[in-house]
Amino acid sequence: MSRDLKKRLRAAGLWVTTFVLMVIMCVPGLWVVLSGFRPNREILAKPPVWVPEELTLSNFGKIFGFGAEQVAIPVLSYFWNSMVIAMTSTLIALIIGMAGGYAFARFRFRFKNAWFLGLMLFRAVPGIALSLPVFMLWSRLGLIDTQMGLIIVYVSLNVPFTIWLIDGFFRQIPMSLSEAAQVDGCTRWQAFWKIEFPLARSGIAAAGVFAFLTSWNEFALASQLTRSTDSKTLPVGLMDFTAQFTIDWAGMCAMAVIIIVPALILTFLVQKHLIAGLTFGGVKG
Amino acid sequence: MPKLTMKAMLATALVPLMAMPAVAADYGDFSGYTLRVKLIGGAQYEPLYAEISKWEEMTGATVEILSRKNHFELDREIKQDIAAGTLDWCVGSNHTSFAPQYGSIYTDLSAIVSEETLAGFVPLVLEHGTVDGRLVQLPRHSDVSNLFYIKSLYEDAENQAGFKAEYGYDLMPPETWAQVKDQAMFFANPPDFFGTQFVGKDEAITGRFYEMLVAEGGALFSDDWEPTFNSEAGVRALSFFVDLYKAGAVPVGVPNYLWDDTGLGFASGTVAMNLDWGGWSAFFNDPANSKVAGDIGLIRAPKGSAGIRTGWSGSHTFSVTESCDNKEAAASFVTFLTDYDRQMVEARKGLLPTRGQVWDDAKAEFSASGNDFLVTVFETYQASMAEDAFTPPLIPEWIEVSNALWPKLQAAMVGDMTPQEALDEAAEEALLVMEDAGYR
Amino acid sequence: MNPARPVMRAAPPNDGFVTPVTRFFKRNQTALTPVLLLSPALLTMLFVVAIPLAFSLYTSLTPYRLTRPESIEIFVGARNYMRLLSNDDFWEAFLRTILFLAIALNVEFVLGLGIALLINKITWGQRTLRTIMMFPMMFSPILVGFQFKFIFNDNIGILNNALQSLGITDRAIPWLVDGKLAMFSIIFAEVWMSTSVFAILLLAGLFAMPRDPLEAAKVDGCNAWQTFRHITLPFIMPFAFIAMTIRSLDVARAYDIVAVMTDGGPAGRTELLWTMIARVGYENARMGQANAMAYISTILSIAFTYYFFTKLVAARRYMGGAE
Repeated sequence: MSRDLKKRLRAAGLWVTTFVLMVIMCVPGLWVVLSGFRPNREILAKPPVWVPEELTLSNFGKIFGFGAEQVAIPVLSYFWNSMVIAMTSTLIALIIGMAGGYAFARFRFRFKNAWFLGLMLFRAVPGIALSLPVFMLWSRLGLIDTQMGLIIVYVSLNVPFTIWLIDGFFRQIPMSLSEAAQVDGCTRWQAFWKIEFPLARSGIAAAGVFAFLTSWNEFALASQLTRSTDSKTLPVGLMDFTAQFTIDWAGMCAMAVIIIVPALILTFLVQKHLIAGLTFGGVKG
Repeated sequence: MPKLTMKAMLATALVPLMAMPAVAADYGDFSGYTLRVKLIGGAQYEPLYAEISKWEEMTGATVEILSRKNHFELDREIKQDIAAGTLDWCVGSNHTSFAPQYGSIYTDLSAIVSEETLAGFVPLVLEHGTVDGRLVQLPRHSDVSNLFYIKSLYEDAENQAGFKAEYGYDLMPPETWAQVKDQAMFFANPPDFFGTQFVGKDEAITGRFYEMLVAEGGALFSDDWEPTFNSEAGVRALSFFVDLYKAGAVPVGVPNYLWDDTGLGFASGTVAMNLDWGGWSAFFNDPANSKVAGDIGLIRAPKGSAGIRTGWSGSHTFSVTESCDNKEAAASFVTFLTDYDRQMVEARKGLLPTRGQVWDDAKAEFSASGNDFLVTVFETYQASMAEDAFTPPLIPEWIEVSNALWPKLQAAMVGDMTPQEALDEAAEEALLVMEDAGYR
Repeated sequence: MNPARPVMRAAPPNDGFVTPVTRFFKRNQTALTPVLLLSPALLTMLFVVAIPLAFSLYTSLTPYRLTRPESIEIFVGARNYMRLLSNDDFWEAFLRTILFLAIALNVEFVLGLGIALLINKITWGQRTLRTIMMFPMMFSPILVGFQFKFIFNDNIGILNNALQSLGITDRAIPWLVDGKLAMFSIIFAEVWMSTSVFAILLLAGLFAMPRDPLEAAKVDGCNAWQTFRHITLPFIMPFAFIAMTIRSLDVARAYDIVAVMTDGGPAGRTELLWTMIARVGYENARMGQANAMAYISTILSIAFTYYFFTKLVAARRYMGGAE
């Protein structure tokens, strides 16, 4: 057996092992996805039905109000709200976070650690403690049940986190690079934009994914600050499947699929960007 | 808003025409008005909301549904509204157990709903909707404890013989809770099959304990609001749950069960008897959801040792806020949602109506279409509602007392404390709650 | 070696190479620029967190009840806090929350590191694997709660069904009821949801890692463990601490999970500070008292955060970043 083949086999073995491990890790989630395509009667059965006897789209049909007597769940509005809120808040958080992260990574100023710590302290307040005061403030400002209201909250949820991550990545980039660029006649802004930003892109992409997923999935505050289809997001919409005494678990799973798929696609796309950001780093030697 | 003007114009044009066939009801004319409402959401409640457009057509008003959530979420939202002073809506879904907490935010409906309309409702249900002498809610449908059981188990000759040999009396659907206990132990074969089950946490278990306490001859409070549930009757009531749990006659997970768990459990065909709400009947009898469809019996809740049936009851209702800017429109709306035709719509879905006339007519309809099961349901329900039903104390502190009580009930169940210790501790906490609230 | 991925290398050292240009920047801009750059972040936090926080601090000094708005005007000083001092249930929940945090964070770190190291070795199809790895992050905490509530259901849950079908047990295991198992179950759900966060952050750290020290270590004859222990680990520690801190802040998200799965029960065996605060604040409507609890839980979070932060600073100093 040639050395090369051995190496390849080992790589393949490693890949398969990792893949299997990852899939095992995902099983509880895959069960949810699969349940979205099965009737309630089969999912929560005893004795259990392991091999699905029936795969159906009727759970999705019900959500959209086809055929069944159930009033459609306004999933399109939820989806739209979720998209707008998650995208906008991510973008704003990234801009604010980049500015802040750059400040922490590149500048010396007094009480820097205290400032840093201060930002964290803000974030340390449990959402449950914040929900009522924020609600009262928001209601005074007319921000209840608006997309803007949630966007502002999510920006503040994500900013400390984004600053941290981006700060960490800027630190990885030697200061001398931008200094060298400045020697070559760039302004500091140009140096940032042309040298440091592309290098920190992977960090920014990661922060972006995190911010997006946090906003996309957040429930506790959204359930307090939203009221109607004007601002209700997908996770809040999940509660439409719970009534006083019942939970339509199959329906909830179908809705979960609707929530998960876009997030998964986005993550997959940004994965590429993450790699590109790293590949781009032409700092050889 | 072009949509609104269109609708208003259309409505004004149509109102005279529409009013003709719907002779009995005149819901008034509120053209151009937008009524803001907060409703309970969930599959079994939705068919009623599909009717709202009819009211809009008749009155020319527009209904804006601000939120549609389950009751616990809605409760939180309403409390936030009270706190923030954002009660800028008119009609809200309510529940007899929750209503007393909200103080005076809801208006007295007896002032704005005609006596004629109120006369159509079952008097006891209206009484349950009254807080501090004010009728703050109009009942939509009610719930009362009823016992579901799997019929074939009781018809099986082997079971009958085996049970008689072991317990010395005939196997029949239970009349007392002592019999339930015997039968539950008899049927139980954990982990595959269970004699019965109960909800085990939150207000649900408090309610179950409370009705058992009453059935055992106890009371939650003395006349001057001292907690008295740690009496002998209380210990007997709690021991019932503890004994069943320890004997494995109920699923081992019950301390974590809520209504959905017991409902799905009974539907899965692994539980012999299930004390639950009549409103589940349609679900249990639907082969798409339930394995026991077509094999269900339903009886009134059994009696405790004091000869009283466990008749915990509550009603889903609608309330009108005191701050509403058009109480007339709001009153018209809640009257519409609880009128004869609307209750028939809900009754056909198996929800239990609050108008006497609807009981009879729905029953007639079921028996004409050969739906014997729903006929039984409605008969059982009618009897329970007329004779057995009682609500928890209609005081704002009910939920708080419940939160002091249920963790201790669980502690007794899982064996951390004896029933007496558990109830003593809970009584101490409940006493604090009542003192803080100024009752003592 | 990893031929598929061009690596980032540290630039040659040029400390001491200070030009007039850089000196100019250092003298005039450094004072103002960071303030300017940070101000949007500070303003946001002030608006969304600091102001509401001041309000809730005030309410924690009143007997404020949600359903009686006028009760906010009664000032009772530290009474709510004094009551908490003698409240055993509260301190039990407090300690349980610490236990929950400590176990969850450590398990997540170890598992996340393992996954990151494994995936870092993969040369082909890594993007797909990384996406799969992040799959649990797509789940809203509320969904994770329902999901594990059904998985761990003793009667019709798939876990017990599976165990019974495989003949491992013939009992219904009370996952959500037994004292230890219930804690295990909620920690499991939390770990399932959040391990990916650690994994992806640590993987990002591994990617940013310069190759030179690794190669130098090889030349010096270090074995795989030594290289990992002395080169890789110190390098990714800042990332680990960032992840730790972020998670310790964000771990209150677990409220959604626990509220759905057990709501603190049975008999308070899984009661965490957050479930207690929610019940007292909203169900009992005693916001004053709930906010006092919330303040103590905030202090707990701060303590955790502070701990990890000092670790982070130390790790950074080790790496020689700006301070």
